[in-house]
Amino acid sequence: MVYDLIIVGGGPAGVAAGIYAARKAIKTLLLTKDFGGQSVNSASIENFIGFKSISGVDFAKTLEEHLRAQEDIEIKDGVLVSKVEKVGGGFEISTAGGDKFQSKTVLITLGSGYKKLNVPGEKEFEGKGVFYCSICDAPLMKGKKAAVIGGGNSGLEAAFDLLPYAEKISILEFTDSLRGDPIYQEKLKKDPKVEIITKAKTVEIFGEAFVKGLKYVDLNTNQEKMLDVSGVFVAIGYKPNTDLVKDLVKLDEFGRIVVDHKTYQTSCPGLWAAGDITDGLYNQINPAMGDAIKAVLNVYDYLNKLITADDS
Amino acid sequence: MIKIYSTTHCPYCKMAKDYFTKNSVAFEEYNVENDEKALEEMVKKSGQMGVPVIDIDGVIVVGFDRHAIEHALGNSS
Repeated sequence: MVYDLIIVGGGPAGVAAGIYAARKAIKTLLLTKDFGGQSVNSASIENFIGFKSISGVDFAKTLEEHLRAQEDIEIKDGVLVSKVEKVGGGFEISTAGGDKFQSKTVLITLGSGYKKLNVPGEKEFEGKGVFYCSICDAPLMKGKKAAVIGGGNSGLEAAFDLLPYAEKISILEFTDSLRGDPIYQEKLKKDPKVEIITKAKTVEIFGEAFVKGLKYVDLNTNQEKMLDVSGVFVAIGYKPNTDLVKDLVKLDEFGRIVVDHKTYQTSCPGLWAAGDITDGLYNQINPAMGDAIKAVLNVYDYLNKLITADDS
Repeated sequence: MIKIYSTTHCPYCKMAKDYFTKNSVAFEEYNVENDEKALEEMVKKSGQMGVPVIDIDGVIVVGFDRHAIEHALGNSS
């Protein structure tokens, strides 16, 4: 059995692609670990068009239900893809469970994951005071001091997640000002529990069994300073999940897959990519879905050309 | 006996609970946000503070790790 299309990833882009592929009657298999991608980590999504506000978990459920309502698509969730290989004119995809699937085309919508600080102590104290999912672990900071690393939107969101719990929140930003949406900045600046430290480069996280503090360099003076905190919430952005295909396709300087922004084809013929994993400009749910849909429509045209070529 | 240590809004806790419910596996939930004794128990069992922590008959799974959960369930039944 050879599929026409295998979609790898079940975030907003993957699900949008799956729905369009099913409606175009493309023989499709969708492989994913779970649904919703990074959006599950949002307490409330307020910019997804058509929904005034929806929690990340409910959003993921809505996506999964819409996908499963399609008749002609095969879905395997709980699956980790371990390998994507070019075999003959098509592709072979292997899973961690030992299954292998063949397909004429592949669409990668694996999105991105949390970027790490890569400083001493970060790995050692992961889960022991170093956290990446603020909505999960902010409640553990009840009555404690916490630091948020990163002054972009995800950092400011982490600070909001901490507000009901932490006694004090220090936001450390590497540049000279916060970068998140002004509407968030204003609210946080007014809160007496929040301290904003700009031009701060985090260099170490330390503790014993659990985190006790961090060290940062004040880039104004180049002096090393200490901050006494029980929790460090790392929110410095995202890293594209390109490990699976990094040898097959061209990546840009940030490790994202380079695609043609009309067709979403990668440098590898037969392989498409869409969403946060690509070199698109804006990492947002709405455009990621639109990009993935355009990719699938282009896959559809490509498959039709294959058929015409076979017939002649 | 399955115990899930969770916090109120944690998406992976919700996914884990949904997973057990869907597969008709009974579990008890402990919200460590309001239950200090449960928090202490969770930290002691898992050696860390991140949620969810799932205790499947003594096998401790940190995070919603479906493979580890399935493995632990397979061994306990």
